[in-house]
Amino acid sequence: MSAPSGGIRHAGIDRLFHWVTAAAVLILLCTAFLPIAGLHFSWVGIHWITGIVLIVAVAFHLLRSLFWQSLRSMWIGSGDFRSGAPSGKYSLAQKLMHHVLGLAVLTAVVTGALMLAKVDTPWWHRNPYWLSAGTWGVVYVLHGLAALAAVTLVMIHIYFSLLPEKRAFLRAMLRGHE
Amino acid sequence: MHFLRFTHNVWGQEVMEGISWDLLPVAIGIGLAVIVGHALYRVVRKK
Repeated sequence: MSAPSGGIRHAGIDRLFHWVTAAAVLILLCTAFLPIAGLHFSWVGIHWITGIVLIVAVAFHLLRSLFWQSLRSMWIGSGDFRSGAPSGKYSLAQKLMHHVLGLAVLTAVVTGALMLAKVDTPWWHRNPYWLSAGTWGVVYVLHGLAALAAVTLVMIHIYFSLLPEKRAFLRAMLRGHE
Repeated sequence: MHFLRFTHNVWGQEVMEGISWDLLPVAIGIGLAVIVGHALYRVVRKK
């Protein structure tokens, strides 16, 4: 695994994206699951507003990674499986975490964007009949599965980021360099 | 344990409402199992 070695590992804009996304995902998970766990509060407003923040952040990241960053640095290739071979910017474990968590967040974002049709906002009125009840069911199932996967993956991501031997990566995500 | 929640539409047909929230402790449990498993692996590897 390549540890940061003094140079800039993450540009400021990427660090900002990471922490905005992290805050948004944590707020979304709390507003989704705390009421289910018995802590009742008015969560819908916080949830959909934070959801829009996450949609914007993910759209920004997709555009930036497609047009301004190297997709190759995230690609999983045969080199990732050769023992002793120097890995690129990211280890296989980091790439896998990014791809699996990215898939969960993307699924939650797409289904959440559809669900925005069911809430009244200053910009549009709710239209619960936009999709059939059966289709809404599929959207809710996918949104729920993505959210549950995010719970598991966020727990694992935070655990690994706090390990002493991975501290350099956490510092790089805070300060840009080791 | 149920995996899905169901409700009825205006015609009385059964439709999916979402996943069952019984799965929330499962998701947390899987996360904890990975964390505890890895922590134990670290301890054993150090010995």
